Amino acid sequence: MNPAREGTWYAPVRFEVREEHVSRFARAVGDDGSFVPPTFVTAPEISAGLAQAVADAELGLDFARVVHSEQEYEWSRPVRVGDVLEVVSQVESIRTKGGHEFLTLRTEIRDADGDLVVVARSSLVVRGNT
Amino acid sequence: MTRRFEDVTLGEQIPTLAKTVTREDVNAYADASGDQNSLHQDDEVARSVGFSGVIAHGMFTMAHLTSCLIGWLGDPTGLTRLRVQFRAPVYMGETIVASGAVRSLDPDTRRAVLDVWVTLERDGRTEFPIRRGEAEVQLA
Repeated sequence: MNPAREGTWYAPVRFEVREEHVSRFARAVGDDGSFVPPTFVTAPEISAGLAQAVADAELGLDFARVVHSEQEYEWSRPVRVGDVLEVVSQVESIRTKGGHEFLTLRTEIRDADGDLVVVARSSLVVRGNT
Repeated sequence: MTRRFEDVTLGEQIPTLAKTVTREDVNAYADASGDQNSLHQDDEVARSVGFSGVIAHGMFTMAHLTSCLIGWLGDPTGLTRLRVQFRAPVYMGETIVASGAVRSLDPDTRRAVLDVWVTLERDGRTEFPIRRGEAEVQLA
């Protein structure tokens, strides 16, 4: 990975929370669909952060070697069906250690009023050749 | 109904929630979350980075942990913070078991901080797909 990409902000992504998507996600994680699973926020987080990091040619992330090492969510309020979210991600840090590379993405998700809904931090390891 | 602050004690164990992970689960999660990393779908790719076959998304395991916590809390909107470390792969057909324990209680905010984890048994050993997790919940 290119360490000079540390600090990069990716373009904000608009993400509408649709009922069909929420129930599909709830089924996939074994919930009954009567509520929005708190980790549904992973979907907008990926659309703004991971997806853009993978597509970032200057960053040079080898997605097939990426393993998730840490994840953090801090919710200011629950996500609701019908929310129109604005999602923005930043490359918080890039490190190399012991033949592996480490990437941390920080994502802020806000509602249509600009109020914070959740802050996410995702730490990834790009595994070296084994 | 949301669990009441007065009904929670320090050290209290969160009832375990178990789930056997299938390829169908992982495919459904890839589709619903948008994480299409082939590490979770293609055995060859998984082996090329040192695993013995496809592994579940860490976030799938985290979502299962969340379901466990919500079952105890009685309120899907009461989870205010969750932080986890992924420390072991989960292979298809393995059974993940989520649990936790109450670490601290704040009477002013009526919130609790929990130690949380997910285990599985492999070759007679206990592995921790999630260890040293921390959750904060809003009690009633």
